[in-house]
Amino acid sequence: MRWEIVMENVATGEAQRAAELPMDNDAFAGFYERSARSLWAYLVRVSGDAALADDLMQESYVRFLCAARVWDGEVAGRRYLFRIATNLLKDHWRRTKSASIEEIPEELFAVSQNSGQFESQALLGPALKAMRPRDRQLLWLAYAEGYSHREIAEVTGLASASIRLLLFRARRKIARLLREQIAGDGRAQ
Amino acid sequence: MTLRACPREKEVSALVLRGQWPGACADELRAHVEVCRACGDLVLVMRAFQSGRAASAGAATPIPAGVLWWRAQLRRRKAAVEQINRPILGAQIFALSITIAIAAIFAVPQARQGLQWLKWWKQLGQSPTFHLGDLWSSAAAMPQWGVLLLIFGLAAVAVLSGLVVFSDRQRQ
Repeated sequence: MRWEIVMENVATGEAQRAAELPMDNDAFAGFYERSARSLWAYLVRVSGDAALADDLMQESYVRFLCAARVWDGEVAGRRYLFRIATNLLKDHWRRTKSASIEEIPEELFAVSQNSGQFESQALLGPALKAMRPRDRQLLWLAYAEGYSHREIAEVTGLASASIRLLLFRARRKIARLLREQIAGDGRAQ
Repeated sequence: MTLRACPREKEVSALVLRGQWPGACADELRAHVEVCRACGDLVLVMRAFQSGRAASAGAATPIPAGVLWWRAQLRRRKAAVEQINRPILGAQIFALSITIAIAAIFAVPQARQGLQWLKWWKQLGQSPTFHLGDLWSSAAAMPQWGVLLLIFGLAAVAVLSGLVVFSDRQRQ
């Protein structure tokens, strides 16, 4: 047997051992089932592009699995996943050099009449469009995902001390936009 | 901008997150939210985001988890193979550089001696040992031998090419 073949066999065996993922398939399937929809919602609302959200979500999970990281529970895993997705979004914006939100498909804002949900669901899209990407991220993580300031700092890489002020400003702005829109809709009716 | 947070914000946000606003909250708290700007903003924004989250999550069509699992495994294996192959490539580069250094060590004294061997090569044709002129004239006298030599030469090239291709395939 030639030395190249011997080395190749050794390398393949080593690679096989190294390719073993930190989670088993069933555990991952459960985690994916519980987290995929909320991650996609975050990506689509912040990026405003459903196709991009699909791509980034898949890439986030692949990177999550490839990371040499010990599984330390669902909550921490979920936070880490959001952090990967946030970094991928940042990379995307850096590449395209466009910080403005793109057109979101109409169906994403469609409100089902029998859902009994708050009527401002349809108002959120236009209001989010008027916000800066970083503000959209902060607002979504705080008010849709319910993350604390410390957790948001961990996900976004911003300083924990600045989150409070940034979030306060962003909340005040989006609340004003939502109120204006509600008032506009009231006048139209 | 003054940063004035209301001390009751935590209480309000917990209720909204649990889906208990406004049905399962005290009248007193509801009255507070009516007059407090910070809490009013909080309720408005949280409810809008919670509804937006529910709507977007419902619109998601995630691909099967197995596909992502398989892709991650492939990527990790590829990265591992690259990592293992890196020292082998380094060893090959090292061996090549040693070979070049040794060749240079031998070539430098030869060049200093003025390439004496070139003269020897020129004299080889005129040497009585080889009779190259006779060989050429006999080949010209018998053209069928020339054709035979050409055929044998081409056959040897074809066999050698086949061997090289086979060896390369085996290695792959």
